[in-house]
Amino acid sequence: MIKDGIKRRWRGLLLFLAVMGPGIITSNVDNDAGGIATYSMAGAHFGNNLLWTLIPVMAALIIIQEMSARMGVVTGKGLSDLIRERFGVRITVYLLFGIFVTNLGNVIAEFAGVASSLEIFHVSKFISVPLSAVIVWLLVVKGNYRSVEKVFLFACLFYVTYIISGILAKPDWAAIGTSLVRPSLSFSPSQLGMVIGLVGTTIAPWMQFYLQSSVVEKNIAVKDYKHSRLDVIIGSFIVTIVAGFIILTCAATLFKAGVRVETAADAALALKPLAGKYCSALFAFGLLNASLFAASILPLSTAFLVCEGMGWENGVNKKFSEAPQFYGLYSLLVFLGAAVILLPRIPLFRVMLISQVVNGIVLPVVLVFMLILVNSPKLMGTHKNGRVYNILSWGTVAVLVLLTGAYALSFVG
Amino acid sequence: MNDEGSKMFLYFSDLLDLPVSDPEGKVRGRLTDLKVQLGELFPKVNSLVIRSRHEKSARALDWSWVETIRGRSAVLKPGADGRLTALEVGSREILLREDLLDKQVVDTSGAKIERVNDIHLLAVHGELRIAHVDFGMRGILRRLGWMRAIDAASDWLFSYRLPEKLASWKFVQPLASDPKRNLKLNVTVRKLRDLHPSDIADIIEDLDRANRSSVFRSLDTETAAETLQEVDPRLQLSLIETAPPEQASDILESMEPDEARDFLADLPEEKKERFIGTMEKPFREQVEGLLKHEEGTAGSIMTTDFLALGGDRTIADAVEAFRHAVHPLETVAYIYVIGEDRRLAGVITLRHLLLCNREERLGALMNPHVLMVEADDDIATVADVFNKYKFLAVPVVDRDLVIRGIITLQDIVQATAEEL
Repeated sequence: MIKDGIKRRWRGLLLFLAVMGPGIITSNVDNDAGGIATYSMAGAHFGNNLLWTLIPVMAALIIIQEMSARMGVVTGKGLSDLIRERFGVRITVYLLFGIFVTNLGNVIAEFAGVASSLEIFHVSKFISVPLSAVIVWLLVVKGNYRSVEKVFLFACLFYVTYIISGILAKPDWAAIGTSLVRPSLSFSPSQLGMVIGLVGTTIAPWMQFYLQSSVVEKNIAVKDYKHSRLDVIIGSFIVTIVAGFIILTCAATLFKAGVRVETAADAALALKPLAGKYCSALFAFGLLNASLFAASILPLSTAFLVCEGMGWENGVNKKFSEAPQFYGLYSLLVFLGAAVILLPRIPLFRVMLISQVVNGIVLPVVLVFMLILVNSPKLMGTHKNGRVYNILSWGTVAVLVLLTGAYALSFVG
Repeated sequence: MNDEGSKMFLYFSDLLDLPVSDPEGKVRGRLTDLKVQLGELFPKVNSLVIRSRHEKSARALDWSWVETIRGRSAVLKPGADGRLTALEVGSREILLREDLLDKQVVDTSGAKIERVNDIHLLAVHGELRIAHVDFGMRGILRRLGWMRAIDAASDWLFSYRLPEKLASWKFVQPLASDPKRNLKLNVTVRKLRDLHPSDIADIIEDLDRANRSSVFRSLDTETAAETLQEVDPRLQLSLIETAPPEQASDILESMEPDEARDFLADLPEEKKERFIGTMEKPFREQVEGLLKHEEGTAGSIMTTDFLALGGDRTIADAVEAFRHAVHPLETVAYIYVIGEDRRLAGVITLRHLLLCNREERLGALMNPHVLMVEADDDIATVADVFNKYKFLAVPVVDRDLVIRGIITLQDIVQATAEEL
């Protein structure tokens, strides 16, 4: 009788997890506060002009995620682990420090999202942010994270509202079509920055570590790898569709009306065609959910990857005294991230955008490491990269570096 | 190496990338690795690995050609030049940088996985041997080159020095970072076998997939069975599938019958049939019998490892029977006494075995008021019995009062803990 109940619970969970693979979960977390902010601003400030970038970005996303998943399945080890073993402690320390700071930026963005969404309900950030920081911290440290994950995932259905709103806003589909086929890019600092931000928010460095660890945790056998690949492709599609609709909805509503997005209330107006006067509340809910979800995953994932690379004890099922560095790092990320948002008059949406631009700048560095590892016959055996893959991947790295260079130069010129 | 008789400790990180020069001072290359022969308590370095800018691949030089390691360089003996060979790593050899540095190993003194930050070598009688492995923060700081600065700072600020965290090599079990090399390191996975199966299980859960199967396969059947019982159920199937089929069935047969039953019960039908099919008849029947009982009943948590003897047998017979038990009995607290019709008649305790005369008959000594439960009784009822009477084990009988199995205190605690 007792065992029967447990078995039924396991089977249900297995079924659910079988449907929601690591790729799909990662993509849902990917649409975090930074994502919503960046896509909204891209649409509101540049209309449909930057929509075309999502196509090459999606291609890059699929390739990069596939490499992560493949490495996880073939080696059975996390990315941090592989980097430490191949490149030694010195390079690892510098890289991990860089990733820590980048991810801290992302955590700051999540709390910016929390603050900004609750501002719509006139809740002061001095209440919302510390409260949510404590809740997130307790949830992961003391609570049962797995069951709450399901609630968060369910609430991700919120993104459907952008699709509906986008259609209701009656955008100029013909113009969208042409802009996709005939891309245009001015090399102004703001446009370049936005493009880097778009890349950075869709293909965040932390995602590669997180995806690979999730795949390793699932203990997927090499012969079952095809399922992972499909899971990654589906996840990437979801991310791109959602991103695309956020951009074009904001283009059709905000850009048309000349609204610049500085606060959540501005961004919320994009949902007016669907929700009318409730658009702010709807947007606030979606942004809050996305922010809290990511705020509970990112610091955790970062603490994990740093401890993995440094050889420190890991895991939430250990006591504080057994894994002090893990808990210390995790708490630092959550509370420092939250504290930054409490600075007076900090421009929340701009902070969210900047964190994603940093992502985009750091991404090529992580990619280079990944490419060296995934091409190693000693590690990957027959599963190392093929030539086409390498060309596309190194090409992506080159383009990203050039973009960053152009961005830096555009400030000077 | 010179300096006969003197002992000196040095760190591998201090040797890495040291320039290697001939007696005249001309630099031949850099010391990129050391090759070590495993097998001894403190393994000896047998070769130096040199890489020079002109050559594409690294070359090896027997350690006997090293004159001394002085300050900032390694000096070779005259004539060493011609002795450079291609680098080959034999089956009982490892390279310190390639295979050990920055990799994960098992620290058997703490029964956990650690990462190697540095290696502590002992130079004595011209030989270099591995003494300790550095798992600590000092190792990381030393590799980064920050150790002196941080030491000075913490000394000046807090009068504190970061402690060393060294583990003697005799407690260190290296793992293979390259899946193909697992086969070679299989031979040396000896140190893990002395650990308690629960500790081995913990370590296996923390390892990556390739090393997991490697470690599991290196265990002898008994230890493998005990370890499998303790491992996370999600890993049990993938572990036992890494063992060759004959060994897999041996492992299942060595497991406690109730643990084997639990493992098989959670498998998909076809795998369950396959495993059961490979087991020998008596074990197969035992497990199939246990599997028949519905989940949540006494029959589903009982074990068939118990001793039952006729009333006319003696204490001496009981001791003999105990000696020849197939599995190490979970509980030796009670020996059950059965009548001619095989019905449960009474129980003998450990006190009887120790204190009574060897010729005394069990039937005369036994306690005839033995509490029993039926296989169909639910676990809650059994738990109440334990709670009320505080037994160490309770026999499970069928409708004819023939004893079919026993439930031990451990079994009932496990079953009710899952409830909580």
